[in-house]
Amino acid sequence: MIAQNIAFGILAASSVLAAIRMVTTKNVVHAALYLVVVLGSVAANYILLAAEFVAVVQLLVYIGAIVVLFLFGVMLTRAKLGHEGELDNDQRGLAAVTALLILGILGYVLVDYFGDDKLPQLNRTHEQLNATRGTGAVGNAIFSTYLIPFEVVSVLLLAALVGAIVLARRD
Amino acid sequence: MTAALLFAQVEKVATPKLDWAATAPLLILCGAALLLLLISSLTTSRPARGTYAVITVLASAFAIGTAGVLWARVTDAERGAFTTAAGALTVDGFSVFFIVVISLGIALSALLADDYLRRENLDGPELYVLMLLSGAGGIVMAMANDLIVVFLGLETLSIALYVMAGFNRRRAESRESAMKYFVLGAFSSAFLLYGIAFIYGATGSTNLGDIAGFLNANTLEHTGLLLGGFALLLVGFGFKASAVPFHVWTPDVYQGAPTPVTAFMASASKAAAFAALLRVFVSTFAEYRLDWQPLIWGIAVLTLVVGSVLAIVQTDVKRMMAYSSISHAGFILVGVQAATAQGVSAALFYVLSYTFMIVGTFGVATLVSGKGDEHHGLEAYRGLSRRRPGLALTFTVFLLAQAGVPLTSGFLAKFYVIGAAVDAHSYALALIAMLSSVVSAFLYLRIVVAMYMTDEEGAEPGPRVRVPLGAGVALGLAVAFTVVVGILPQQVVHWADRAIPVVLASGR
Amino acid sequence: MLSAVWLIPALPLLGALLLLVFGRKLGEPWSGVLATLMVAGSFVAGVVTFLGLLDRPAEERQFLFHVFDWLPVGGFNVDIGFLVDPLSMTMVLFVTGVGALIHLYSIGYMHGDRGYPRFFLYLNLFAFSMLMLVLGDNLLVTFLGWEGVGACSYFLISFWFEKMPNAVAGKKAFVTNRIGDWGYMLGMFLTFTTLGSITYFAKDGSGFLQHASGLTGVTATAIALLLFVGAAGKSAQLPLYVWLPDAMAGPTPVSALIHAATMVTSGVYLMVRVSPVLAQSYHWAPQVIAWIGAITALFAATVAVSQRDIKKVLAYSTVSQLGYMFLAVGSGAYVAAIFHMVTHAFFKALLFLGSGSVIHGMHDEQDMRFMGALRKLMPITASTFIVGWLAIAGVPPFAGFWSKDEILLSAWGNNKALWAIGLVTALLTAYYMSRQVFMVFFGEPRWDQAHHVAGEAEQSAAAVDDERTDVAHGVAVDEHPAPTPHESPWTMWVPLVVLAVLAVLGGGLNLPFNHDVSFLANWLEPVVHATEVVPDVATATKVGLAVVAIIAALAGIALAAAVYLKQRVRAVEPELLLHAYHYDDALAAFFGGPGEALAEGTAMADKLVIDGAVNGAGTLVRAGGSRLRVVQTGYVRNYALGIAGGAVLALGWFLVRAGL
Repeated sequence: MIAQNIAFGILAASSVLAAIRMVTTKNVVHAALYLVVVLGSVAANYILLAAEFVAVVQLLVYIGAIVVLFLFGVMLTRAKLGHEGELDNDQRGLAAVTALLILGILGYVLVDYFGDDKLPQLNRTHEQLNATRGTGAVGNAIFSTYLIPFEVVSVLLLAALVGAIVLARRD
Repeated sequence: MTAALLFAQVEKVATPKLDWAATAPLLILCGAALLLLLISSLTTSRPARGTYAVITVLASAFAIGTAGVLWARVTDAERGAFTTAAGALTVDGFSVFFIVVISLGIALSALLADDYLRRENLDGPELYVLMLLSGAGGIVMAMANDLIVVFLGLETLSIALYVMAGFNRRRAESRESAMKYFVLGAFSSAFLLYGIAFIYGATGSTNLGDIAGFLNANTLEHTGLLLGGFALLLVGFGFKASAVPFHVWTPDVYQGAPTPVTAFMASASKAAAFAALLRVFVSTFAEYRLDWQPLIWGIAVLTLVVGSVLAIVQTDVKRMMAYSSISHAGFILVGVQAATAQGVSAALFYVLSYTFMIVGTFGVATLVSGKGDEHHGLEAYRGLSRRRPGLALTFTVFLLAQAGVPLTSGFLAKFYVIGAAVDAHSYALALIAMLSSVVSAFLYLRIVVAMYMTDEEGAEPGPRVRVPLGAGVALGLAVAFTVVVGILPQQVVHWADRAIPVVLASGR
Repeated sequence: MLSAVWLIPALPLLGALLLLVFGRKLGEPWSGVLATLMVAGSFVAGVVTFLGLLDRPAEERQFLFHVFDWLPVGGFNVDIGFLVDPLSMTMVLFVTGVGALIHLYSIGYMHGDRGYPRFFLYLNLFAFSMLMLVLGDNLLVTFLGWEGVGACSYFLISFWFEKMPNAVAGKKAFVTNRIGDWGYMLGMFLTFTTLGSITYFAKDGSGFLQHASGLTGVTATAIALLLFVGAAGKSAQLPLYVWLPDAMAGPTPVSALIHAATMVTSGVYLMVRVSPVLAQSYHWAPQVIAWIGAITALFAATVAVSQRDIKKVLAYSTVSQLGYMFLAVGSGAYVAAIFHMVTHAFFKALLFLGSGSVIHGMHDEQDMRFMGALRKLMPITASTFIVGWLAIAGVPPFAGFWSKDEILLSAWGNNKALWAIGLVTALLTAYYMSRQVFMVFFGEPRWDQAHHVAGEAEQSAAAVDDERTDVAHGVAVDEHPAPTPHESPWTMWVPLVVLAVLAVLGGGLNLPFNHDVSFLANWLEPVVHATEVVPDVATATKVGLAVVAIIAALAGIALAAAVYLKQRVRAVEPELLLHAYHYDDALAAFFGGPGEALAEGTAMADKLVIDGAVNGAGTLVRAGGSRLRVVQTGYVRNYALGIAGGAVLALGWFLVRAGL
């Protein structure tokens, strides 16, 4: 347990620090790279929670696809690659206050509700855990309980696809 | 547990039973979207003009037809409402009601889009495809019995709408509005998703039936998490419904988007948002009514006041109507706030009559704006009664209906929501709602007066206005509904009364 | 015979529909004839129904006619249905009767107008709405008619909509009426929540007037006063009267029908209808109504003294007479209120139509300073107008004397101060009406001056801003070289003669001598018996009061004769009164000043916060950064902040609820 706690502490700290740097840095590419750290820490957290499948998906989708897309976007739109002074604007003070307020409230709510509750200790074997959280279980859930959401996602992707064509097409 | 056993499990995935009749409207809409794509990619020559619009309208009509069959089934006392697909979708009067409303939104907007696309030289199946998919997303929201499904429905609705808003690529405003809508929409979706996580944390489920069951059976010691979830969900739904202060995107996007798309946004998309709001808050969180009612109260007041007051100072008719649609959202919220069966059915009646009014309004705006979709100033309407008496009369009907003048459906809609508020002892809210309707009467009148004033000496006449067949049919339908229901509302009220959402545990 | 009641509103509606479809084809004069026949038919149906009602014993004179279930409210239905009782039938008869005459008159008056069929379409639609208003068996149907007459009034005021003042006046009428409607709606909702019904009388006894006695004082007061706000808007009482004088911009038959005889009295009708609620309210509630009525009567009468426009005098006079009716209502003299409403409909319609005939004959001149000695050129108009004048001035035995006397009597029984105000008003009424008659029909002919002083008149028109020299038909005065007044065609003078006869004999409806000749009081007895306040006054006092009233009337006439006929006394026409105490200007100034500032303020906020991306783009370009970026993302961050701020507020609220 202690090892897990230490790991969580490190991950949490690194993701918070990286997130702060991400919004304060004045270099777009740096911001994207800080984002990698944030998303990576989240993926590591999933592993700590024994949700390997989600962790892998997180890595694949967010770091593998989305951040790469960001970087491509930065490249293709000819944004300044180096130091950029105009990334900030005069609203940042207000924005910081609002963000802190939201953080405070949400944090309070979580602490208030869960306090120092502990997750129930389950004496399960690896196989048992796998049956409820593993890739197989996820696969099962997708085609049973979450059939409709799964299908709706496919419709969503279709819409996105058509949309992408519409926006990208030249007249 | 051996590996063989695991393997065997995978082999026998217990797929849930799917009620095909219940999902038929969704399948028809998505199927029509695919059909449109197929036709356009398989044929080399251009199909006859209007083909795409006709297919879209037919698909919506079929969806409404299957909804009619469903209606008979769910309102049958012996069979009643049910859930399908492992408790993910609820099929009740409420779902069916919104299937009809959203399909109507699709059909009417498609009729308006037909000529618009040719006029703007944008003809093609894509807008219709997006409209159908977006509508399907809206219907999913209305039927959803699970917060995840609500969220996915909302995203499907939105993704398609973002693109539709930017559909007229040649207009900078159109592109700009798409961008704004997209960024802000994604922003608000994050709130919604976080809210779902909170609710899950507090109740241990995302299934509405299970949540309601949990809340009924247990008394929470710490309600912070649950209520925090309420707040975040409200942000997400409020954004889509353009409730103040989450309305900020509305004027810009409504103004910038192609006008038929605006019509769709104001009708189908707003209806879907209210569907989710009603089902999730009024039915599922009924136990915690006293907690969320005051907040809706505040939002409703803000929405009514901001919508009607800011509408007055506008000079652009399309923008005016954007604010006016905000104040309509306020009226629907008045019904939501009552949180009674009467309030819900009043809100439903409002949504349906509002759909026709607003599509009609933006339909007229589509025609008057002329090529380039740019004549939206009040001066474009000056003397319209001379150039197009029929169109001017039609628009007058929509404006009077929006103002809530008797013998139009708009009056009864306002009457019912205010009546529901009074019945729920929200006197102050009823008062404010009435006041705001008085204030907004100015605005509608301003346009009517402009239309019936002849051109001043020397002023150049406004652009020539053409009324194409499709748009004519849509406007005719909308006027007919507005007037007929204004005089004989019985049947519609009866439907609205029987369309109260039910929340069923996933077991059933 | 009673079932013929459905024909009463149905015929004008049919007429309106026919005109909507075939109006253009029918053209002139057939569309006018059709409309007139429809309203006349409606009058006949009214008479038939009336006879049917008369056939029944007095206490059974109530008949409910169900048309169809309209809309479900709460657990039950509000239906479209008609309530036939002495009160509604009185209203129906004079509305259709006077209405038919005015339709007939319009056939001639509107001759040659471009919108001829459209005018009659509106007129028929108005008749329909008005009949729905008086016949409706519940507050909502009445409200329907209420809104309908308002809309028709708005359309008819704006009839010559090319003219800016007309459009503005129409707008004013619409807006003021909306304020009144707001009161009405509130009253209606309150009635519904406290009494569970908005039907006046129902067969099963569930109508709200049937158990109004169960109301608490505070609720009854609230309902009564809210409905009175609606009535004050519709019937042009202080402070909502502003629209009525402006509404004279409409064609004269409209002024006669809507703004004198029928629509503006619907407020009085409503108050009489809900008199059981009024009876249940605190004592001060009817007093408020009586005082507002009395003050309005006096206020408008003083303003009428200085008006120059022939129709403006009559407009303020109407406001003043309506004040009388509310004085009666507030004093509990419902019969007197209805009586005065009927006689007023006769003589005021007569006066308006007469003035229309004058305007017509003078080629659209409305300024009385350019009239005079018209009695020789327009004998029928002049003699009928004089009858109307004597009637409104309260000279016996003309109709106005009898009804006004009853109101003064009830005011005396209520509060001597109210009576005094009423008496002063009566004197002023006689004075300003005589002034009008002398200026228009007697003295030196001054109509040829109009041509020469047209420029001056326009200047003064610009200064006064409410006088218009070329109101109608788009024919400017200047186009006619020195017009010669002429008598009007028969379709115009026949209604004048009929109305004049009614204005003479109308008093016979309700003579005070003994119980048997108080026809109207006996007829209305089943409706108001529970609520009518009978002033406890000795016969000698009654006679004395009547004599004082006659003296006041004669004094007013004599004074006016001295000023305007003999010119022994210089006329006192203060500018202040011409401008109606600047009340209207003050309102305009408010809405132009602080009110507009408020609107501007919100507009600014809108521009700064919300409109930014559109309007602020230029500013931002200067601030640096490429234009495209500014347009596309410049303000999204503001919006996002707005949403996030809203989220914080929502979260904050719930945390407080959760007990932070």
